[in-house]
This record gives sequence, structure tokens and C-alpha cells, in this order.
Amino acid sequence: MTAEGKPVPDILPDTREYWEAASRGELLVQTCCSCGSKQYFPRLLCHRCLSEDLGWTKSSGMGTVYSYTVIHQAAHQTFAPDVPYVYAIIELDEGVRMISNVVNTDVSKVHIGMKVKVFFHRLSDTISIPRFEPVQQADTE
Amino acid sequence: MGIRGSCAVIGYGETQFAKLKDSAGRTNYSEQCLAAKAAIADAGIDKDEIDGLISIVPLDQKSSWTMDLSEYLQLNVKFMDNMYFGGASGNAAILYSAAAIQAGLCSTVLLVGGSVLDTSMVYEFGMEDSIPFEHDFDTIYGPMIDNSAYALIKQRYMYEFGARQEQFAKVVQNARYHAARFPNALLKKEVHVEDVLASRMICDPLHLFEIVMPCTGACALILTSAERARELANPPVYLLGGGQAIDRGMWHPAYGRSGSLTTSPVREAARQAYAMAGLGIKDMDFLQLYDCYTITVVISLEDVGCCENGKGAEFVEKTDLTYNGELPVNTDGGQLGRGQSYGGGHFVHAVEAVRQLMGRAGDLQVPDARFGLVNGNGGSMANECTLIFGNEVPKGGVL
Repeated sequence: MTAEGKPVPDILPDTREYWEAASRGELLVQTCCSCGSKQYFPRLLCHRCLSEDLGWTKSSGMGTVYSYTVIHQAAHQTFAPDVPYVYAIIELDEGVRMISNVVNTDVSKVHIGMKVKVFFHRLSDTISIPRFEPVQQADTE
Repeated sequence: MGIRGSCAVIGYGETQFAKLKDSAGRTNYSEQCLAAKAAIADAGIDKDEIDGLISIVPLDQKSSWTMDLSEYLQLNVKFMDNMYFGGASGNAAILYSAAAIQAGLCSTVLLVGGSVLDTSMVYEFGMEDSIPFEHDFDTIYGPMIDNSAYALIKQRYMYEFGARQEQFAKVVQNARYHAARFPNALLKKEVHVEDVLASRMICDPLHLFEIVMPCTGACALILTSAERARELANPPVYLLGGGQAIDRGMWHPAYGRSGSLTTSPVREAARQAYAMAGLGIKDMDFLQLYDCYTITVVISLEDVGCCENGKGAEFVEKTDLTYNGELPVNTDGGQLGRGQSYGGGHFVHAVEAVRQLMGRAGDLQVPDARFGLVNGNGGSMANECTLIFGNEVPKGGVL
């Protein structure tokens, strides 16, 4: 996918650590220090027990395609050069689901249950976006 | 006494559904005001009898919209609300209005929604008006707004249950069969399963014909007490049951869709509505199901009790869903056949239920219709509100 002109995440107080980690090549999952619940995306408080005492779990970056769609017509002009592209729900091995793209593969090969791993698409000095690509044989051996 | 049978719809109105290119001179005000005018005339009441107003805020209007509309129409209301939670808003507005009437807050409520809108505006609002976490954890990945949200649901459904594309296409065939015979439908050309399958793939596995076409238009209803309704010329259409349910993890895709993608809160909303009405799926003479996409209809059919989870696509394939078939569904063409007016579409299914129960559906009249179910769906199957209407209040049941 190209980066040209695409929406870029704003770094907000609740999400600063997440994006700073992404820029270093790490995927963080926010984890409640009171009840242990994990949540995606990072928030002010725990979605389960409302505790504000929150920490982070470093994700292995491995996950599975839970569902996906191949988008043939971009809603936003900055994605038009990318069609057809895959927009997907990824279930991380840590248990949470997140929206992302599956790239670096033929879109027709993407399927539910496909094993994927994160990589970081660098947009600027401070922003890298987690996207996913198929796990190659070598990754699992 | 509860809501059951305490209120009735006494009139309805619509404006002409049209593509944006054919909407010169029309505005959000013209749509909602003219639909309201038609509903007031149909009910046969004086405008000043209206003392409650709920409106659906058009996407490009401010949150003060309902106050603005009230002043524009010079209404003296003592009950007013904006509704702004997607396609479930219309049914919820009816349910809340009934509660307000029953509680004595007001006596007669005008419910109206509609706007001038086209596809590019939907995308524009979806992409550029997104709230921060939606922008930062969803928009950056290039969603096609609602299309991609429902495509994710359909894809997962096909995976879990082995449902086939032609089964979904039958939903469209049914909608367009009715739309071809309904005077105020945008898509007048009948299409068949093979046409749907041949239509362009937009957001795989959703074809073009499985996706509603945004359009201009508005719908309005007037709800009053059962006592007042019985004094008027139109046969009262009683609200017999209603229920609402909201899923915690299905609204913004940014949340990663933590819930099940293949069951919906329709199940709980319908359960509440049946319990209040003292009726069940077998009593329903028709269903008007919110149909922004084919998958919405399939899952809604399951969750209102037509069949078990995972069997909805097969149910569609094997059942005659036309107005004189085994189970009439979306007898005016629904939004897949009529076009989707933002706001008008929130009420369009309730209007069709009322039309049927008043016996005014003309060529598409369901024979001897007594009871019907209407489901409203918003937020990618996150918010659901189910209503049951009847042209009589059955004895017994849960009061």
C-alpha cells in the first residue's frame, strides 16, 4: 500500500505509548492491572472493570484472519491506487481483535483462519502503522 | 398498564424517493416538512394537535435540528428528541414516543426522518467526520464505511455456515420484485438471482445489488393514544410490542468486533417485543426487516425466530417471501428496492407495516394482515429495535 496522502493517526494522551511502540516495531495490547482484561484499542479505562490502572502486554505480532473483505472500490481517493486491497479483522494470539490490512500477498489467497504476522509500515519519523502479511513457512519452523 | 395497545399510528406520509441528480430544489427541510405535512393530512388531524416531535437528524445537520424543525413548522411541543443512532432510530423513536404518551408527557407525536444525500456524501461523512479513535484505528486502514463493515459480517457468516452467494441474491430478487410493483420505489427494474451475481463486486463478498443505493426522500408517522386513534377515519394500527438491544462490540470497527459476527441483538430486541405483545413469530403475517444489505436480512430472519442460527440463507432460498407468499418480507421493496433515504429509511419499514395493516397496500396487499413485525438496525448490527404492530389488540398475552 502506498502512504501518499493517506489518513495518519493522531497521537493522543491515551494512545501515545501504543504509537511510540509501533514506531519502534512493537505491537502493544493494553492490559488491565486490576482484572487482567486485555483491550484493543488503548483507552482511558478498562472496558471490563473501569479501572484506570492499565499496563501493556507486548504482542507476539502473530494472529489469524477472523474475517476480511476485498475492497474493489475505495471510499477515499487516497486508497484508490491500492484496489483491490484487503481490510480485515485480525485476531491476535493474545486474544484481542483489531482492524488492519493483509498485504504482501495476492488478495485471492487471503482466507479466514489464515495465519498472519504484523509488520510496521513506516509513514513518518514518528508514525508506523501495524499491518499484517501471511506467515511464511520459515516463520513457524 | 404498559405500552401494549396503548398507542396507535394514525397516519403516514412520504416524499418521492429520488436519486440526487433528480433532486434539484429539494432540501433536508423540504423532505421532512413535506413528509410531515402528508402524514398530518393522512391522519386527518389539525397540526396544532401535535405536541411531540422526534426527528432523525440529517447527516449534514447540526444536533439542534429537531428544535429548528419544530420552529420551522411552528409546532407547540412538550416532548422532543433528536435521534442519531443509525437505522434503529426510527423504531426506537416510535417506542419512546409510546412510552411518553402512555406516561402522559404528551398526546400526539410526529415522527419524521429524511434528507438529501448521495453516496459520495456518505463516504465523505464516514471518512472525514470520524471520531478520534475511529480515525486512528480504523480509517487509516481504508474501510469502505458501512459496506466493508457488513462485508466482514457476510464473509464470516459464509465461512461459518457455508452459505452461498445465490442464497443472498434471493433477498435482492425479493426486494426488487416488490419494488417493481411499488409506486414510490427508486429501483423499478426487477432483477433475478443471476443478475445480482453478475453485478459488480464492490466489497467482496458484497455485490453492487446487495448494497442499498442512497437517495433523497423522507417518511413520517403520527402516533397518538389508542382512544384518540379510534375517533379518527384511518383504522388504528396499534403498537403491541417493542424491544431494544445493543451489542457492546459491534458499532465502530475500531473496537475490533469483539462480539459474534453472526448473531445479532435482533434476537434480544425481538424477544422483548414478542413478550410485550404476547405474540410470536407464528402470529406474524409479514416482516419488514431493515435491509441495508442482504446479510442484514438473513441474520435478522434468524434472530426474529424464523429459523436457527446459520439457517437464514437456506430459509431465504426455500421460502416464498413475496407479499402473497409463505412469509411476506419487505413488501414495498424495502431499502434494497426503494433506495435508502438517510432518515427516511429509519421509518420506511414501519410505514410499510402501517400501510399493510390499514389495508392500503394496493397490489402488494398481504391478504388478511393482522400482525406484523418491523426491525430497525443501526451501527453494523450493533443497535436493534424491534416493534410489533397490529390492527387489533389481541385479548390475553402479557400486559
